[in-house]
Amino acid sequence: MSRVAPTSGSKALYFLCITLSAFLLYLDINYKSFERAKNLYKSFTISSSYTIKRITLDPLNYIFEISKEKSKLIEENKKLKQELDNSYIANFILSRDSKFFIDDEAIKKFLDLNKINKPFHLAKINSFDVEKYLCCSQHRMFIKIFNSKDINFIGSTVINDQGILGQIIYDKSIAEILLLTDVSHVMPIISNNHFCNARGSGKPGVITCNYSKLIWPDPIEIGQEFFSSGMGGIYPSNILIGYVSSINATDDNNIHFDIDLVANPLKSSFIGVLEKL
Amino acid sequence: MNNIGYIKLLVIIFIANILESFLAPILIKAYINIPITFLIFSFAIYKSRFNTNALYAFLFGLYVDFISSSPIGLNAALFSMMAYAVNSYSNTFKLFSFIQICMFFSGSATFYIGFSHLFINLENFSYLILFISLIFNTFLFLIISMLRFYFPSLKIK
Repeated sequence: MSRVAPTSGSKALYFLCITLSAFLLYLDINYKSFERAKNLYKSFTISSSYTIKRITLDPLNYIFEISKEKSKLIEENKKLKQELDNSYIANFILSRDSKFFIDDEAIKKFLDLNKINKPFHLAKINSFDVEKYLCCSQHRMFIKIFNSKDINFIGSTVINDQGILGQIIYDKSIAEILLLTDVSHVMPIISNNHFCNARGSGKPGVITCNYSKLIWPDPIEIGQEFFSSGMGGIYPSNILIGYVSSINATDDNNIHFDIDLVANPLKSSFIGVLEKL
Repeated sequence: MNNIGYIKLLVIIFIANILESFLAPILIKAYINIPITFLIFSFAIYKSRFNTNALYAFLFGLYVDFISSSPIGLNAALFSMMAYAVNSYSNTFKLFSFIQICMFFSGSATFYIGFSHLFINLENFSYLILFISLIFNTFLFLIISMLRFYFPSLKIK
């Protein structure tokens, strides 16, 4: 049986559908109109996969573990791993960001609230779309923050044991992190007296900067270190962000350079969320 | 040639989307991109005995947009375009050899990759990915279409 070519009526319907799609696309890209529905779906899939895992895999794992004599050792090992991640993050803050602790009142308040001597909340990565991270411009990560009942983390800095990863842009049951490499992310960074607004490149582990020689006459060098400036009120200052990896002159006066980040989001499954500055 | 049911196709596309999300990070290292969900939908409407309704393609595209976290409307537009192209040339395809059909599908897949990258990856748009994906997809489809010659068919002709 042969298929009939589209009639003028069905052609009009196709045209209508494509136009409607284009309109929806415009709304989503420019106004993020469907962000809430998408986040709801993501939360649902993460929660359901977590629940399914808890119902199906975890009991099997448990049976498997109790069948072995070393089950206690395994548990202890897990706890130690978590403590180790904890201490990595604490050491990172203490060793690289001494200026962050200038405000004694903020430290005291934090210590009183959390009854611990670390100004961060431990979080576990719940979902990370590595496909999008490696191929596309949108670099997001979803985490579950521990002990975060009454705290709003939107705008909080997220770190791992290597450095700054990004900031939280959505915080419900699952928090969403905008990574430094996302193209919509901009971060003020500094090197000596040189300042630059670094944009995410959309490439894994790379952010980019543009500057004019007329404003910034000093040359930039491969391997030069860049630090967070603390401007913008999101990130703590003087934390090493990365090293210059490539420099390209776009014209006689303008220079474009890439910075390789020191912090890799794929490194650890546990990360730290600082309370807002 | 059989029409595939809506529910069946929804489930297949859902599984294909999960498979794609697992394969894509590995393949992208070799500059290869295979839009599995798009290809499965295209193949379903190509194999269908009847013309696909525009709304059918549109709604399936929206469904893929929703489950794949791509911008809403992107797959809806591309699925509608593909359905229109397949319906328009459904009789012409009968004159084509399987090599030409494979080239049509790999060309469509490349168009899909290019078009979607214009929206989700404009900053790092790569012609290398398009070119390598075109070649890889063409050979992949040729191999898949040639498999039927090497495996026994259970159909009574």
